[in-house]
Amino acid sequence: MFKNAVLYVGKAVIIGLVVAAIFLMANSYLTNGTLHSQIFKPKDTGRSELSFAKAVRRAAPAVVNIYSLSIDQRRPLNPGALQGLGSGVIMSAQGYILTNYHVIKSADEIVIALQDGRKFTSEVVGSDPDTDLSVLKIEGDNLPVAPLNLNSLPEVGDVVLAIGNPYNLGQTITQGIISATGRNGLSSGYLDFLQTDAAINEGNSGGALINTQGDLIGINTAAFKVGGDSGNHGINFSIPTKLAYSIMQKLIKDGRVIRGMLGVSGDAVTPVMAQIFKLPEVKGVLISGVDPTGPAAKAQIQPRDLIIQFEGEEVPGFEMLMDRVAETKPGSTVTLTIIRQGQPYEVAVTIAEKPINYSQ
Amino acid sequence: MKTKISLLSAAILSATLTMMPATSHAAIPQTVNGQSMPSLAPMLERTTPAVVSVAVSGTHVSKQRVPDVFRYFFGPNAPQEQVREKPFRGLGSGVIIDAKEGYIVTNNHVIEGADDIKIGLHDGREVDAKLIGADADSDIALLQIKAKNLTEIKSSNSDQLRVGDFTVAIGNPFGLGQTVTSGIVSALGRSGLGIEMLENFIQTDAAINSGNSGGALVNLNGELIGINTAIVGPNGGNVGIGFAIPANMVHNLIDQIIEHGEVRRGVLGISGRDLDNQLAEAFGLDTQHGGFVNEVMPDSAAEKGGIKAGDIITSINGRKIKTFQELRAKIATLGAGAKVTLGFIRDGDEETTKVTLGEANQNKEATAGAVHRMLAGASLENTKQGVKISAVAQGSPAAQNGLLEGDIIVGVNRTKVKNLKTLKKILKDQSGTAALKIRRGESQLYLVLR
Repeated sequence: MFKNAVLYVGKAVIIGLVVAAIFLMANSYLTNGTLHSQIFKPKDTGRSELSFAKAVRRAAPAVVNIYSLSIDQRRPLNPGALQGLGSGVIMSAQGYILTNYHVIKSADEIVIALQDGRKFTSEVVGSDPDTDLSVLKIEGDNLPVAPLNLNSLPEVGDVVLAIGNPYNLGQTITQGIISATGRNGLSSGYLDFLQTDAAINEGNSGGALINTQGDLIGINTAAFKVGGDSGNHGINFSIPTKLAYSIMQKLIKDGRVIRGMLGVSGDAVTPVMAQIFKLPEVKGVLISGVDPTGPAAKAQIQPRDLIIQFEGEEVPGFEMLMDRVAETKPGSTVTLTIIRQGQPYEVAVTIAEKPINYSQ
Repeated sequence: MKTKISLLSAAILSATLTMMPATSHAAIPQTVNGQSMPSLAPMLERTTPAVVSVAVSGTHVSKQRVPDVFRYFFGPNAPQEQVREKPFRGLGSGVIIDAKEGYIVTNNHVIEGADDIKIGLHDGREVDAKLIGADADSDIALLQIKAKNLTEIKSSNSDQLRVGDFTVAIGNPFGLGQTVTSGIVSALGRSGLGIEMLENFIQTDAAINSGNSGGALVNLNGELIGINTAIVGPNGGNVGIGFAIPANMVHNLIDQIIEHGEVRRGVLGISGRDLDNQLAEAFGLDTQHGGFVNEVMPDSAAEKGGIKAGDIITSINGRKIKTFQELRAKIATLGAGAKVTLGFIRDGDEETTKVTLGEANQNKEATAGAVHRMLAGASLENTKQGVKISAVAQGSPAAQNGLLEGDIIVGVNRTKVKNLKTLKKILKDQSGTAALKIRRGESQLYLVLR
């Protein structure tokens, strides 16, 4: 019995050692030998590390130039002149293109130019002024599509490339890093910008921000202006792909982005405000204004009310409250917990649809 | 059963043993040249001594006609023109490309009109420079200094650049002293900007400012890829759009300057335009890039090479070209006499041909003199109506015979002239006097060559 057990364990150990030895020898041979480098290393590692050419090749064909064809009202029969407006990114083989709303908003007829020289006239599928996004569509075969990876989230310090058509010079690639993520407040609370120092100029708007793999990570939208001074100052913004993609799907489905509206303005409570208004706690959103025709007014919400909960969940700031409201389907009724003159109340509000202001 | 278990435990044991060294392999950090932190410093230590500052001074001379009123006061001996002199100073950058000969390359616009050019070397020395030659159309100038212990910069083949490659700009912006900025290649073959006559720029987002002109654009190996020349900036400063003249183009020009003291521009002898959507559609082409040939000049390099109107030139020496301007800039800077392989599309088929580039200007005048000795000094050009006199040199036989710029020769004696070829043929048989039928503006006249 004992002998059997020794034999059994010994057999296993010996076979195990032999197999391991063979594998290790083979592995070290492979690691040192040329065979290993042929099998395990990509062919041109040296060059691909020192250049973004590969990433550019993947993404650049899908970035298009956008022109407006303006027709002279006095000479309607003359063929119009093409005027450079900005850039756009082909998002699908069906020909859907994302760009900025401000790029195309005053164009009569939009012409899309691909990098291979093809030109298409396009129609506007829908626009969302709040996020400054528009979706265009072209009909064409073999359209290059921007590589997407919705799961890779950019981090501060990542190297990025901006692709666009600044000053209508022709396609241009510029390089920088992600300077910040989650910037709010450029024009509305819905935006969640990426900030980059890659050079973005007039005409880059609507173009692509890609990572070093060539995946699309944002739609370039605006350059920070110093005292009305145009030109790049190393502070530029990009709409993250995830947000842009979801807006695109909504625009394709409904032709617009349907958002809920409460009809209030306000601010997150600060310790100073809590003292002035004699609030019990430093939390919630203090209402400063109520739209007289909005859902909040109909539910008797007044200025100086403090909203502390939305559907039983705490609201840490005004933007977060607006985000929750925007995501709520118009017509549905929600419960807000408010504090008025020190007393808590529960108020039922029927959320309305936010009107879209296309002139902004 | 036991065998199965023993084999299983053997497999587990061997797997455990082999996993251990495997993890230690993965722990070794991936380094580049033994350096864990990437830095451009080692490359720049070798490269920056080759980039110099160029300080120029001179006087701008502007002539102004003296008003007749003053001439009345000062009498008939008063000067007709008043010469105004305005001293100026300028600052730019330059690149040492040949340490032994002391050759420095810079932009023509840096040294244009300068009486005095001083080179500031990286080690603090200041040396006077001599202008060897310059080419305004491509904005390149070659200087020479006499100094020892110079550092030169090697050039890389700029035709192999790709969009996305790293770039480093070295220069002397705003006269601050040597400054290094980094970026990538934003675009290649950029033309149509209206900055120079001949444009075929590398575009980069490395910061380039006033004073960087003439400085070096290098790759990560410290090899020259271009000469920084211009920027697009709405407020005069850098916005991430800079332009450099490719190293290969620079060398083509410099070689000619060293050999002849000037650039002898190569001529293909075609006129044309960019291939665009409509043209490509009309000709049923897949490609949208190339130079469309409208017209081929008689006896030109292109004609000898078999190029015909309607061909689409798609490559030069195996390198694809996008626009007609790019083709023009490349041909012009290749130099007269250069042998060039052109790729072109005819009737949908791709073909290649070898041509030997002709020489600009001189060729035309030589032709005019050869056509008839009394036409010497005129530049002749083929047009639809006939042979156009595009220029007449002052005091030349052509001018003495009364030919004016803009005249179109439509006939000789009683024979109609269609182009240079027929004009040549007719005048060759005509030993004595020839009467040229000329269209000048709206009118027609005869000029008699004796």
